[in-house]
Amino acid sequence: MKRWVHWSLGAIDEPALNAAIEVSPEAGAVLVFVGRVRGQEAGREIVALEYECFQPMAERQFHLLLDQIAAQWPIESIRLVHRIGRVPINEVSLWVEVIAPHRGEAFTACQWLIDEMKRVVPIWKKPVLRTP
Amino acid sequence: MTPCATIPVAVTFWSYFKDLAGCGSTTVEVPRGATLGQVIDEVMRRFPGLTGLRQSALVAVGVDYQRPDYCLREGDEVSLFPPVQGG
Repeated sequence: MKRWVHWSLGAIDEPALNAAIEVSPEAGAVLVFVGRVRGQEAGREIVALEYECFQPMAERQFHLLLDQIAAQWPIESIRLVHRIGRVPINEVSLWVEVIAPHRGEAFTACQWLIDEMKRVVPIWKKPVLRTP
Repeated sequence: MTPCATIPVAVTFWSYFKDLAGCGSTTVEVPRGATLGQVIDEVMRRFPGLTGLRQSALVAVGVDYQRPDYCLREGDEVSLFPPVQGG
């Protein structure tokens, strides 16, 4: 399984990522998940989220998760970009592309990866509240 | 030469644990052969602001999660942090 994990300090360049797609003739499913910062966090109006990351450990944990995906599902490739630092609302904080022969394993692997990321990958977010 | 009876262990705090500890990192001296649990005990003793969060705290040595019975070696770097929230 091909894999690519990247951190972005600025806006995630979705057009560039989409343009760089590599798909084999065997792949029938290309799934892209885009996570955006909402305007509310725990019921409070916010203007941004500040993401902090323990990067060496986060990379290690992402790769352990990708190892498990490779062992469980016939995924061709996964590319993932997580933004760190201040991310204003409506901007993208997470971009994940999963390419697989069929949609079932692509959806399952993507869901599993994001769920597990939220359990083990050391990234934290702090809301920046909207001031009246 | 007789080895020291204790070893220094660097501990880094992440996310709001830094605020609660009042610093980003510290060093604790523990007996040679001490477990990770003993290091956390010492950290909790020195930083009472973290005590209530012990059950939810995540603990790593280097870039891997470890259990409290992990036996520390010289040069190990411990990280202590709250539940993660990526995405």
